[in-house]
Amino acid sequence: MKVKKELWFGFALMAIILATVVFFMPWGNFVDGHLSREDLGYLGLLMLALIVVAIMLGFPTAFTLMGMGVFFGWLAYRSVNPALANQQILDLMVQRAYSVMSNDVLIAIPLFVFMGYLVERANLIEKLFKSLHLSLARLPGALAVATIVTCAIFATATGIVGAVVTLMGLLALPAMLRAGYNIKLAAGSITAGGCLGILIPPSVLLIVYGATAGVSVVKLYAGAFFPGIMLAGLYVGYVILMAKWKPHLAPPLSESERQVPLPPLSQALSARGGNALAGLVGALRMPTLPKRQVATQLLVSLLPAISIAALLVVMYAAATAPTAAVDTTGLVQAGGSVAAESDSAAADSGLQEPPKEEGGLQEPPKDAADLKEPPAEAGSAASAAPSSAGMQAQTASAPDTPAPPAERAPVPAWYWIVFGVGMASLALVSWLMNWQRLEIFKMLLASFFPLAVMILAVLGSIVFGLATPTEAAAVGAFGGLLLAGVYRYIATKQSEGGPAVVKTLIDLGGIIKESSFLTAKTSAMVCWLFVGSSIFSASFALLGGQEIIERWVLSLGLSTVQFMMLSQFIIFILGWPLEWTEIIVIFMPIFIPLLAKFNVDPLFFGLLVALNLQTAFLSPPVAMAAFYLKGVSPKHVTLNQIFAGMMPFMGIQVIALALLYIWPAIGMWLPNVLYK
Amino acid sequence: MQKLLLTIDKISTFVGQAFSWLIVALTLMISWEVFSRYVLDHPHSWAFDGMIMMYGTLFMMAGAYTLAKAGHVRGDVLYGFFEPRTQATIDLILYIVFFIPGVFALTYAGYYYAAESWAMNEHSTITADGPPIYPFKTMLPLAGAFLFVQGIVEIIRCVICIKNGAWPARIEDVEEVDVDKLKEMVHVKDDDIAKLDRFVVQEGSTK
Repeated sequence: MKVKKELWFGFALMAIILATVVFFMPWGNFVDGHLSREDLGYLGLLMLALIVVAIMLGFPTAFTLMGMGVFFGWLAYRSVNPALANQQILDLMVQRAYSVMSNDVLIAIPLFVFMGYLVERANLIEKLFKSLHLSLARLPGALAVATIVTCAIFATATGIVGAVVTLMGLLALPAMLRAGYNIKLAAGSITAGGCLGILIPPSVLLIVYGATAGVSVVKLYAGAFFPGIMLAGLYVGYVILMAKWKPHLAPPLSESERQVPLPPLSQALSARGGNALAGLVGALRMPTLPKRQVATQLLVSLLPAISIAALLVVMYAAATAPTAAVDTTGLVQAGGSVAAESDSAAADSGLQEPPKEEGGLQEPPKDAADLKEPPAEAGSAASAAPSSAGMQAQTASAPDTPAPPAERAPVPAWYWIVFGVGMASLALVSWLMNWQRLEIFKMLLASFFPLAVMILAVLGSIVFGLATPTEAAAVGAFGGLLLAGVYRYIATKQSEGGPAVVKTLIDLGGIIKESSFLTAKTSAMVCWLFVGSSIFSASFALLGGQEIIERWVLSLGLSTVQFMMLSQFIIFILGWPLEWTEIIVIFMPIFIPLLAKFNVDPLFFGLLVALNLQTAFLSPPVAMAAFYLKGVSPKHVTLNQIFAGMMPFMGIQVIALALLYIWPAIGMWLPNVLYK
Repeated sequence: MQKLLLTIDKISTFVGQAFSWLIVALTLMISWEVFSRYVLDHPHSWAFDGMIMMYGTLFMMAGAYTLAKAGHVRGDVLYGFFEPRTQATIDLILYIVFFIPGVFALTYAGYYYAAESWAMNEHSTITADGPPIYPFKTMLPLAGAFLFVQGIVEIIRCVICIKNGAWPARIEDVEEVDVDKLKEMVHVKDDDIAKLDRFVVQEGSTK
């Protein structure tokens, strides 16, 4: 029988693992039938080695974990009390399974997965890619940049790596090849971009980690946001640099490819002047043109201006609101402004009172009680000291800060800066809005903004504590449903015309059906894996394998930095043969207890792991992304070319990991600001 | 024989698909609950229990369905390189060593767990007047039993494969990455992809 190279490698690896464990196993102690605590621990390590071997053999992991957990757990119980062992292991097993069934963290998984399938089937990726690559056309390497941005947004909303890579392979790869891009660069940007969805929240990976490590998913989402953006930014930066440095790898688009065909109305108007806003305002007065169409166009082109203005008004209201503003200013500025704000708020309420006190000096205690949030000493002074002293204290505090006569707080300086920037960008946008840009903007409006708004709404409501991840996921799934419905409706209406409602509903029914079947399969896959692994890790803890590992790691005398590097390196290596689900549910329970010994925040560790596991998708031989791309690329693009293209992006991931480790604030800043 | 296998496949699939509609119900229920709480200011005390029960039932009952469609995650390091016959032998051994004892123990333990819950008429303790929880606990042995039967079917599949040297067919089902459907969705044809080879080869020759 001919055995392939890869098989030899795999079998050799398995043999090494088994041989090492078998060699160090204290067999002598097992023979006499009396198992000490120590021996059980070694049995735990044997179990761990066996599980790695069994997973490599390719049996469904969930059941491997379950079967092995039951057997070794039974052994552990038997060594203590043989009579009770059967009952105890059965109890343990059913308790663990039920705890997964009633887990209030994992419940978000099916909902996010469902949302992902619905958004994927809304079929907006084609428009998204086209509009992004037109709007980014001036950048060097525009197509590759647009690919990464499209991937980042679409993958974030769907979280399905396979589908994103396949779709981008169908859309972006032909476009890039036609434009003369280097195959490796094109393949690398598609595969690397497609994997961003597992890092940028709302991602399933972070939920799984949160459920395994007992870290709040909300904090993980807040923490992973900026590292995710940073990684996408590094990818884009790399592509732009390469395109600048070696233009033959990514030639700029020709002038004709940057143009968008204008609709007849715009074409007629564009002859009269370049600026779309001025042209449309002028067109309103022309009787020959369809007024309604012009007005709609004008409204669309004014949207950026309107949204900037609305934002400024909202910010003004928030910044000058009497006391509620403290929260939001705290986000933007450091603590100093918060103190000033509450000072002036106290002064405000102090100022309101004097007229009242003239009439009723006899009731200062009540006045002091009326003050909602004054510094404590003011209130106590007012009630304890004679009323005149209280008045003095209050009037004395007033001149400190120049309080305005109205009940609104003074407009802080930063607001005027933001206001200036807003106005300047408003003017810039209006000035730059020519007919071409108006068309591109309309395309973005139809593809980019709905998706971005949906993601930000889901994420924002989770991170700012308005909804639990579960609720946000459900509402997100509902939003995905609406999105799919609307896009299908537009598509059917364009292709067939006439009443398209019935056809859309039938379409939508099919989409929902397919999506829910897929959701059931995916969540069964992840959650049954959880059932298996929770039984497995319970047995592992029972055997005391954890203690041995802990003692061994501590005996190495590692510093925190060394420990972190070692653990990330192990996870990186595990990412080559295993998938991220397996790595998290099997190995995280081993790492997490060690974190406390080295003073590492499990939240920070989770961010590093999430970033690290990006590589699991790009590293051969289990690089799913590469195989998906190969499946839809032309025959002469080889798997080796794709792998070679992915390598620089893997390098960037390692750099991003180092950056996050050196400056933990990249990830920890947002959760610290929000939840402390 | 093949007919019997496919029949059991169909039953597992039917059960799994029937329960997979729970995700739609779950989405609608939570969306409504959020609306009801924040807008109508009228939260429901049973919402949390309902949510958990729907989620738990959904994934447990889809276990056999997922197994019938070979959807449970495998470590695909070496497995893909094996001949079908080797694959089947490994699977057969591991089904008997891990799957059968594990799932049997789960079903057996789950049966007594649920029976106990029925006997004491157990209600959820999350709220004061929680809904009954015994139907939910019944899902545990039920899902285990479906999974067990499906596992036996998979074992027979392995035996057939060892005999014939090829895997017996499965029923088609909707797939996560259905390349043909995706191609249709974005209007790309195989010809278009084949034509692209021109650019690939050209690029290769100029270097």
